[in-house]
Amino acid sequence: MHRIISSFVSRPAALVHVFLFVAAIGVFAQADSPRPSSQTGARELVDEMGRSVRVPVSPTRIISLAPSITETIYALGLQDHLVGDTDFCDYPAAAQRKPKVGGIINPNLEEIAALRPDLVLVTKNINRLDTVRALDTLGIPTYSSSAPHTVSEIISSTQKLADVLGAPEAGKSLGQEMEGQLAALQTKLADVPPRRVLFIVWTEPLMSAGKNTFIADALRKAGGVSIVEASQDWPKMSLEEVVHLQPDYLVFAASHSESATRDFEALATRPGWRLLDAVRNRHFAVISDAVNRPGPRIVSAIEELARQLHPEVFQDSPSPERVSPPANAASFVSPHAAFSSLSPSYCSGSVESSCVH
Amino acid sequence: MRPLTLGRLLFRCGILAVILFVVVVIALKMGAVQVSLYGLGRDLIRVLLGQSSAISTDYGMIVRDIRLPRILLGIVVGASLSVAGASFQALLRNPLADPYVLGVSSGAAVGAIAALIIESHLALSPELAGLITPLGAFIGAGLTIAAVYFLGRRDGQIDSSTLLLGGIITASFLSAIIMFLMNTLSGSNLRGTVFWLMGDLSTPQPRSLLFLLSFGFLAAAGAIYTTASDLNLLLAGEKEAMHLGVDVPRVRIVVYLAASILTGLAVSVGGTIGYVGLLVPHVMRLIFGADHRMLLPAAALGGAIAIVIADTLARTVVAPSELPVGAMTAMAGAPLFIYLLRRRIT
Repeated sequence: MHRIISSFVSRPAALVHVFLFVAAIGVFAQADSPRPSSQTGARELVDEMGRSVRVPVSPTRIISLAPSITETIYALGLQDHLVGDTDFCDYPAAAQRKPKVGGIINPNLEEIAALRPDLVLVTKNINRLDTVRALDTLGIPTYSSSAPHTVSEIISSTQKLADVLGAPEAGKSLGQEMEGQLAALQTKLADVPPRRVLFIVWTEPLMSAGKNTFIADALRKAGGVSIVEASQDWPKMSLEEVVHLQPDYLVFAASHSESATRDFEALATRPGWRLLDAVRNRHFAVISDAVNRPGPRIVSAIEELARQLHPEVFQDSPSPERVSPPANAASFVSPHAAFSSLSPSYCSGSVESSCVH
Repeated sequence: MRPLTLGRLLFRCGILAVILFVVVVIALKMGAVQVSLYGLGRDLIRVLLGQSSAISTDYGMIVRDIRLPRILLGIVVGASLSVAGASFQALLRNPLADPYVLGVSSGAAVGAIAALIIESHLALSPELAGLITPLGAFIGAGLTIAAVYFLGRRDGQIDSSTLLLGGIITASFLSAIIMFLMNTLSGSNLRGTVFWLMGDLSTPQPRSLLFLLSFGFLAAAGAIYTTASDLNLLLAGEKEAMHLGVDVPRVRIVVYLAASILTGLAVSVGGTIGYVGLLVPHVMRLIFGADHRMLLPAAALGGAIAIVIADTLARTVVAPSELPVGAMTAMAGAPLFIYLLRRRIT
């Protein structure tokens, strides 16, 4: 009985399947049409990922997919051309009010397309390659900045970005300003021996910045030297190793100094951590989380750290007004974003309490 | 119970197809950018008349180039997972079997990570580069399937329980390798992998891949369908089926291979989307009975409906951000599974 039914049942049923899919695919395939090429005044250039892209000479509808790029755009005075940014673009405060296109790792393509950008800016270090490819497929010009390894690469990358955005003069003066500030700092720190520091990216598990990151370079510029020699970007550290290396200072980056202080107190009560001289002597420095972003504010974050590591050098000069932290404390900044996406379990509920911003 | 006739089969599939259509239309309407039903209908007519150029950018780019491909991808992935789940449940005679039970998804993940590592050393055109992750995932899935197959053989035949245990062990071994790779490598490409491990359809796939997937699905699901009545007899037990004239070893190999291919296809583009392959067949079995001639097409359509709904929610609940679709299916699937489980017991 089964056999008899199945012999006539199976073929038409398969046909139903075929019909449904062919119908769906048919509509889909027909929908293919030439895209309007409305780009007048565009130029061909190679971005920092080595892709050749066509971008407008002076783009007026820019979407930034990285907090550091958003900050750079504001620093260049081009904020009026910024039509969208990510949920994590929290500085300056005005950037929070721009239309949001979602996260860094998973921006909403529909939202991006709806804003009709003439240029989307991404960075190689935090955005996904898939995002760039998807935008390419949609015919939306995308310029990618590189992953900087040093502070000077951040400056040169900023200037390149300014060129792409059609504001080379603004880029030049911003770059000179950053370089000048750094040079003045270097002169001040020329005669002091560097402090050995542990930069804490995350406390649970303990993570620091590797030697090839711009953060390690920023520490050097601030008169410090990271005790971490790892070539990985965000190496997990064992407490044993830290105790063995005995850093002079622990460095926290936070949007609120109180939260970093809480983190320090929490660390100090943990078994083993009291073996650290830095913990016993309460040698810890808290700097703005701007240090985590390869953007223009990194220079002031470096100076902030230098003041805490070498207070004796700065005794005669008053501290400049501290860059006020953004109101939104739940900021995911670049290394954190990189890390949290690699191990999603760690950033579930503990971001606020136990993780450094 | 009345016997299954062709008319009843087509009628039931038709109802499911209508539901799928309605769900797809709603999914097309919903999203970060609002579109109207009128606009959708107008543009569909324009497309059918060959006047695609008259479509506005909003509809053209957002609906046609972003939303529709993603929904179609979801349909193929959902149907594949669900048919694979129904097949594995019948083949292993285990109601807990799902497409990932034999370690296929872990194998695919290792393959995808390997592809990403290789890709960073090759200068590929963007077209090719977009295909390399799915390809790596599919190869990884294929190798895992082959390995588990050889682990699961006893006296030259597949032994269900050995196969199941072999799959579970392989999966946990491969998961350890994934953990190792994720903790030793760094780079922006691997970030995509995490998303992928959670199950994600947000990455637009090349059009050619969608065609490939559709035809792969039709071929593999068709192959399984030819064994539908054998699977019914297999439910009574392998010996019994053999006595009734079923070529059990052949059925096992056909279903095993085809279901694995379906899983490999789904996982290569969508990552690990849990619960669809486990639950949809159970729900369909409750509604339509355990006859595989009905169950398989119902599972395909039901799986497609489930994924399109889940992915639409994933796209919209925290808009403009997105959730991985795997999170949505697990959130809805786990409680539903517990409900079905308790219902069966009492």
